[in-house]
Parts: sequence; structure tokens; C-alpha cells
Amino acid sequence: MDFEVINTTTSDELLKAIAANQNSNFRIGAGFTDLINQLKKQNTEELTIINIAQLKDEAYTQIVEEADGLRIGTLATASDIVDNNFIRENYPVLHQAASKLACTQIRNVATLGGNICNVSPSGDMTASLIALKATCHIVDCNGGERAELLSDFIIGLKKTTLKKNEIIKNITIPMNDHHNIISGYEKVGSRKSMEIAIVSLGYHIQMNNDGTITDAGVSCGAVAPTIPFATSACDFLLGKDIQDLTEADKEEFANKVMEYASPISDVRASEWYRKEVLFNLSQTIFS
Amino acid sequence: MEKELKVIGKSHRKLDGKERVSGKAVYGHDIELPNMLHGSILRTAHPCAEIISIDTSKAEALEGVECVITADDDVYDVNNISYKRDHPILKKGTVNCNRDEIAAVAARTKEIADKALQLIEVEYNVKKGIYDPVEALKNEAPQINEFGKGKEQFGNKNMAESFHYEHGNLEEQKAKSKVIVKRTYELPRVTHACMATSNITAEFSPFDGRLTLWSSTQVPFLYQRDIAHALKMEPSKIRIIQPIIGGGFGSKLDMHPFEPICVLLAKKSGKPVQILFSREEEFVLSPTRQPMVIDLTTGCDENGKFTFREVEIIKDNGAYTSWGATTPFVMMQSYSSLYQVPACKFDSHAVYTNNPFAGSFRGYGNPQATFSIETNIDLMAEELGMDQSEIRLINANYKGEVTGQGLHFKTCGAIPALEKVIDESDFEKANAEPKGDRYKKGIGLGSMLHVGGGAKIYRSDGCGTVLKLDDYGYLTIITGSNEIGQGSETVLAMIAMEELGIAEEKIKVINTDTDVKPWDVGVHASRTSFVAGNSLLGAIKLMKEKLNKKAVALLDVVTDDWEYADGKMTFNEFEIKIDKVAREMHFGTPHELCTVNYFYEPPSKFQDKDFKGDVSGNYAFASQAIEVEVDTVTGNVEVLNVHVSQDVGRVLNPIGLQGQMEGGLATGIGYALTEEMIYENGELKNPSFHGYKLLTATDMPPVHFYPIETYDEAGPYGSKGAGEAPLIPTAAAIANAVSNALGVTFYSLPITAEKVLRALKEQKEKNKEVLV
Repeated sequence: MDFEVINTTTSDELLKAIAANQNSNFRIGAGFTDLINQLKKQNTEELTIINIAQLKDEAYTQIVEEADGLRIGTLATASDIVDNNFIRENYPVLHQAASKLACTQIRNVATLGGNICNVSPSGDMTASLIALKATCHIVDCNGGERAELLSDFIIGLKKTTLKKNEIIKNITIPMNDHHNIISGYEKVGSRKSMEIAIVSLGYHIQMNNDGTITDAGVSCGAVAPTIPFATSACDFLLGKDIQDLTEADKEEFANKVMEYASPISDVRASEWYRKEVLFNLSQTIFS
Repeated sequence: MEKELKVIGKSHRKLDGKERVSGKAVYGHDIELPNMLHGSILRTAHPCAEIISIDTSKAEALEGVECVITADDDVYDVNNISYKRDHPILKKGTVNCNRDEIAAVAARTKEIADKALQLIEVEYNVKKGIYDPVEALKNEAPQINEFGKGKEQFGNKNMAESFHYEHGNLEEQKAKSKVIVKRTYELPRVTHACMATSNITAEFSPFDGRLTLWSSTQVPFLYQRDIAHALKMEPSKIRIIQPIIGGGFGSKLDMHPFEPICVLLAKKSGKPVQILFSREEEFVLSPTRQPMVIDLTTGCDENGKFTFREVEIIKDNGAYTSWGATTPFVMMQSYSSLYQVPACKFDSHAVYTNNPFAGSFRGYGNPQATFSIETNIDLMAEELGMDQSEIRLINANYKGEVTGQGLHFKTCGAIPALEKVIDESDFEKANAEPKGDRYKKGIGLGSMLHVGGGAKIYRSDGCGTVLKLDDYGYLTIITGSNEIGQGSETVLAMIAMEELGIAEEKIKVINTDTDVKPWDVGVHASRTSFVAGNSLLGAIKLMKEKLNKKAVALLDVVTDDWEYADGKMTFNEFEIKIDKVAREMHFGTPHELCTVNYFYEPPSKFQDKDFKGDVSGNYAFASQAIEVEVDTVTGNVEVLNVHVSQDVGRVLNPIGLQGQMEGGLATGIGYALTEEMIYENGELKNPSFHGYKLLTATDMPPVHFYPIETYDEAGPYGSKGAGEAPLIPTAAAIANAVSNALGVTFYSLPITAEKVLRALKEQKEKNKEVLV
């Protein structure tokens, strides 16, 4: 592999580097855990890498509790997320997704922004953030800013709305309305580490003190070209009392999740298996 | 009572441990020679095709390319390879499997070489190919390997190899049987997944015709002979140097085309050439475990005593023949002699297909055989209403037994090993326990028999040792045996420390250069510590005779009873430093060096034409009780605990032995649950660790290891070979545990989550039908 590298340490340098390379072929690298593998398979002679691993800007790196939610810098690593107590307590779905990603060595360098921009249907942190209704905050090299719901940001297999002159600066997650939550991330695979989900299910369900479901987010990974937010399954739950959910309700919920699953068969699992497991898992999250 | 030992039996870290963990170890990939070129090999685009033309002109014209070779090249003056001589090194005319090598390039950089490959134009006439051995046996099937001698030897043109074995009166034993169980088992292709990919560096001198190879082979002297045959050279003109090897597990027991190809590139270019496999090449090209379909019929009488085993095996030989075809040598042992078997009939046929060929892999057919045997045992016990542990205990091998095949168990830890795991796992309680709701628990047993004192497959199964004690009291052990990570050179150093009282820092083990070291057959059959250990003990005996004689002369005392400890030789009040004795030998008359050499040949016998005979110096026995938990939502099987008890004769290095156990179990668990090379029409669909589910450290369950010491007099200090055994009964025990958890029996490996969910679904539907 032979390519140019531009190292950036400030957001100013970063945006300038992006601006300067608008007419050339470049990739942005932070943890490089996916990028290096991709570069092995392509001609890198005409390629420039903008390295942001050493970027010091807090807007890109920090995890900050704000009044209306949590802001996580694009350069936060999976380990930063795993180690964050606020996330562990308030957003178990994200904590679990980050802790089930790859292995310790990779978690120590793999970044949130990288996980999102890799746009894999089995991206663990991405799937959990979709269930959490996260928003991406994007800057362009001219200083322009925009925000977009993560589930809108991803528009297809390996496709996002990100333009060549843009980069994700950070993401925000809305504050929980209630402390009463059912939240988790189920990842199915045959290894405990170094695994890419065969199927995953992220869920974050909030109840008021009476047990009435007031908000729900459910996403499913590796069963469609993108990671779908299972709207109808979530809508089905709203207003229901968590304690009164019957077996029939759970089955109907699972059936609604299945509406979003159109998996393929590949060497890792068949379509049949992916559907079967997603259905089984969807029923188990309330027990 | 066995003699109290100071070093042997106490944990000793690996001699090369620090180099390995610090990154200082020099692997084949680290070798760099002046003017060295990088080689790449063009492989067929289709597993079955005629080659109409090959045009290398564009590749040759690429800047940085030094030479390109094909089978039409002048330098290509070669013999076919493989033990059946049915494998051309470079292919012309036809290609028969996805590995087939068509052309090779040597260039200044790896990138240029790879680019040149893309410029080679090959025109194919693509054919359908045959990927099922049963299809290949049909009359209308074309002959797959033009060099195959199946028609003359076995009556079918696509038969590559065949074995028949029998002992006892089968019909009489069938008549005695109360229960007869007949099942068909399917075993997958799996790969060794060595962390260091295959590699070779070749330097050929046009001046004296000598060839030096830096190679990752695990059998350097056989390899030297194979390279010589392939390239029509004198074996002694070939020097094999083994850099540190990052995993062998049997994969490096045969020579493969890339190795002579590398030499041809070096010959043609006049420069050293190196070929390193990428991970994808390692998956596609390195030999696999032998896939097979086993039909096994077994019986027992009303008391649960085994009566007979009848086995018919069809093996997918692939397009060429490698060691996979010879796995019956080991499988015959298991079918004929694992537990007491009054009658046995065994037939195995390896059939050419357009799939890749299998090689040797730790266990050598034994995991496949043991999986079928142990599953059938559970089924017989169930039908008889007998406990799974009891049926095994009453049939277990015993000390003094001479089996139908002629294996003589002079020591035997089979029953103690079984009893130990049954006891430690609380087997009977766990076996009967309720299985749980979503997560269902189960426990299963498996036992195994394997050679423990080498295996006389070649004319010699021996090992040579040269010892040199220098003027400063440093000992150099030049051993014929190899270190491929199994820890045998550490065991050799421990033996020398024990016997000669020399400190570890004064011991060097030299074992990497065929120009220097004496002959040894190589690393296979769990033999190295056994054979090389005995060889070293023989050499030490000779060296002690020399030292004793000199000490007697120097101290003017008459005795042969010297104690060697702390760098000194002591007898009563007489004491002398060992280095002083060596110096006096050197500088005093009659002036000699303190060197000796010794060759050890084990007492084992070559088997006769019926495959009968006491083939090994001793035999290893082991049992495993494995606890699993099956998630009925996902189908995943988690191994909770492994209880393993193994007759190792005597523990030499406890920490090294534990490492062998854990490493073997990791491979065995993967074989049972996750690993499979997925082939479709001759193409590998999962040539990466992403798609091929090699387990990682985080998947390892707690391993409870209970060594059984039987002190076999054939082995060094009573020890037996231990390396292959820990993975052999693992898949069998896990399969029995899953069956115990779910009430469903699995007849194929791996027992993937998908297979489990499908089985549960079928079970549920059957139950529904019953209710209706």
C-alpha cells in the first residue's frame, strides 16, 4: 500500500485538508480498523488519507452530558463508550453494543464516526444509535453545519447523505424521559469476540412510573441493506402497560419487527436462520 | 515409586517464549536476502477446465518483473509430486481444482509480482467438474486425475486410495448382539489456520548446484527428499533451514507446489526468491482436514459389551493425493482398538473430485473416527437403557491388552481417565438434571486412543542427537527434531538440566538446519518429546560415560556413581566442576572434545500388509466430559466446562502440557461447533477469518485437566506423546452433550446454531403432530 497521508490535529487543519482535496480521491481515517482492510483490496496509488486520529478538538472527541441529551464526539472510541458510566446507566443499548464490538484491541481505537460512516448493516454502535433516535451533527469544509437523524442519514447499502466536503463532528442522543427503561443490544454470532453480527436487535423502551410505555426505539441489524428503525413495532408498544403484555402481544410485536427484515443468505447464515432468530429474539426482550 | 526428579515435572517456561511475545522471533516472513525477489503464483480461475492458451508476454514486459515461468519453460524439468506422484507442480492442458498453479512470477516487489499476474492471459474451456465423490465413482464420470492409477489398483478410475482391514469373526459377533446401531456421519473440511502463513525463501547457487531453503516445513528431512525428487536433485545438495514456525498442526507435513515453484523461480532468475502466502491464499491453498462420510454399524450384547464395528468410509480426495488419503492408518486403530472390540471390518475409499485435496491435521483422521464411535456408543447405551458412563467403563481398554490389530498396551490409563472425568464432572448427576428453559444444559463423554510413542510409518521413526559440552561448561544439544511451537525443545533442555545438572542459561538447543543436525523423521504423531527425549537420554548416557571416566582419572577415585548437580560432579567427598572435566579432556592427554552422538530408533514395528502390528512405542488414552449450554433462542452452543483426563505416562513440563491441552481443545471445540470451509462447486466461499469461524481466546471455557501418570518404560521418564490427543474426543463429547441437552442427535459437524435451531423446530413440529 502506497498513499499520501495528511495528519490533522485541529478542526481547522481538518477542514482545510478536506477543502484542499475536493478534486482528488481521499478517505478520512481515525481508528483505521475497517479502512486498512478496505485499502488492501483497492489500488491506493492515487489515494490520500486524511488522518484524524490525533485531532485534539473536544467537539470531535468528548462525551458530554447536556441539558437535553448526550453529545458524543465522532472520535470517541468504542472503549470510551464502554467506560462511560452515564451511558452505562442511561443507554444500556449503546453500552452493550460498544462492548460487543470486535475485541478489546479494536475497541480501543475504533471510533463512533467510523462505525457510522462505514455504513455496514451490521454496525453495532450504529444499530444501537438508531434505536436511540440519535442525530448526526455534520460540518462542511466551508464552516457550514447541519443536523440529521441518523436513520435518515443512512440511505442505502454503503450509502449516506454525507457529501464529499463534509464530516460528522458528533452525534446527540435525546435525554430519557423516564428512568424506567428496558434497553439492550442482542448480538447473534458464533464467536464471543471478533464477530460481526449475523443478526442484531437494539431496543430502548421507556415507561412512566405506572409502567405505561411512553417511548420506544427498536432497530435490527444485518437483516436488510440498511439498519431499519422498526417504526410499526415501536408504535405498537406505545401506550401499552409493560406488565400487561401478553404472549400474543409479544408475538405481534415480533411479527411487526419482522416486517423490517429482508435478510439474505450468505456463508455466515441463511435467510431462514436470520429471520428465525430475529423473531425469537424480539419475543424475548420483555421477559 | 518413581525416582524423585528436580527439573522434570516442574513447570518451565518455553525457551523461546520471550522472543515470541516480544516480536523478536524471526519467522520466514522476516527473512531478507541480498537481491531477493518476490514470487507470486497465478492460479486457475476455474476449478475444472481445459487450458487453451497461456500468454505471459505482457507480464514479462512489466518493469520490475525478472522472470515468468509456466509448465512449458525450459527450467521446468521436474517430477510430479505427492506420495502418489499424481500432482504436477505447474499445470498445463487441464486444471482440476481451485488451487491449480498455472504460472509464476518473480519480481522486485510483491506488488509488481501481483500486478504481473493480472497481465497473464489464460484462455479456458470451462468444464462442469465433479464435486461429489459418489458422482465421481459412477461409470459415466470422466477420469479426473490423468495420473491416477485407480483403474489398475482399485477397479475404478477415480479411486485414489483404498484401505481394507478386519479382525475377529464379524458374523458371529453380530449374532451375539442385542443392540445394533447403524448411522451415517458427515465430517467437514476445516483448516489449520496457522497464525503465520505459509512461506518459503529459496537461494540456488549455479556454481555448485546447491540449494538453500528457508522453509516452514515440519518434516525437514522428508521435505529435503521430496524437493530433491520434485526437482531431480541430489537430496544432500539441499539445505533446509527452518526459521521460527508460527503454527504447523500437520499442515506442513507435505510439500506443496509453491515450494518447488519458488526454487524454479530462483533458478531461472539467478536470484533468491521468496513466496509468502496472504491470509486468503492460506485458506485456499493449505491442506485441510480430510472430509468424509462414515457409515458406522456397531453392536453390543445384552450386558453392554461391545461385539463388533463395521465401517465404510468415502473420502473426498480432491484432485490430487496428499496425506489426507492415508488417515485410515490412524482411523483403523480407533475403530479396531478404542475400547475392546472383538470384531471389526473397515473399508475406506478416497475418491478423486475437483475439490481441493486434504492433508494431515493434528489427530490425523482420529477426531472423525472418534466422533462416530462415541456417538454410536451413546445411542447403544440409550437403546439398552444403560448409563453412558457405565457402558464405556465396562468396555474400556486395559493394561496388558493386545488388541485385534496387535496394539500392545503395556501401560493403559483408559479406565482411570474415564473414572476421573466422570467423577470430577459429577457426570451422572449432570446427565440426569433437568435441562432448563431457554438455556438447556447438557453433558457428554468422549474417549480416545492415539499413538504415544511415535508411529512406524516410515522405514525409520528415529531421531539423532549430537551433544557438545564446551570448555566453559555450556552444553549444545544438536537434535534432529524440530520445534514448531509445541515446546519440545524446552523439554529437551529440561532433560539435560535434570541429567547433567547444567543450568538452563548454559544450554543451547540447535535444531533448525539439515546441514548441521542429524536425521529425524519430523514433527508428527505426537512423537517429538518421546523420540527426541529418548535420543537425548541415550546421548547423555554416552557423555556421562566419558565424563565419569575422566573424573575418575582426575580425582583418583574408583566409582561410576557420580551425581550431577549445580554444574558439578560429586561422589562422596569428591567433587569437581563439570567444565573443568571438559577442559581437562580437551587440554590433557589424549586430547579429546567432550562430544557424543547417538541415534534412537523406537522399538515399534512396521505394520504387516493387513495393517496389524504394534506400531507405536506406547499408547495414549484420554477421556473428556464436557458441559454445554444451548441457547434455544439463537441455537448457539456454549461450552461451559471441559474436564479432560489423559494418560500422558508422566508429566514432563506441566505448563507446556497444559498449553497443549488448551490449544488442542480450542481446535476441537471449533471443529465441533463453528469451523467449516464452505465449498460450492469447487470454490471456497469463506477464505477469511470473517467467514471462517476460528474461535478466539474469549470463547475458551475453563479447562480442568487431570493428567494420569502410568510411567510407561518406553518413554523418557515414563512419558507418552500428548500433542494430538486433547482435540480428538472433543467434538464427540460436545455432540453427546448437545444431544443430552436437547434430546436430538447430530450426525454432522460443525453443530452450528442454524443446525440446532432447525433441529429444535423439527422437534417442536413432531411434538405438535404427536399432540394432534
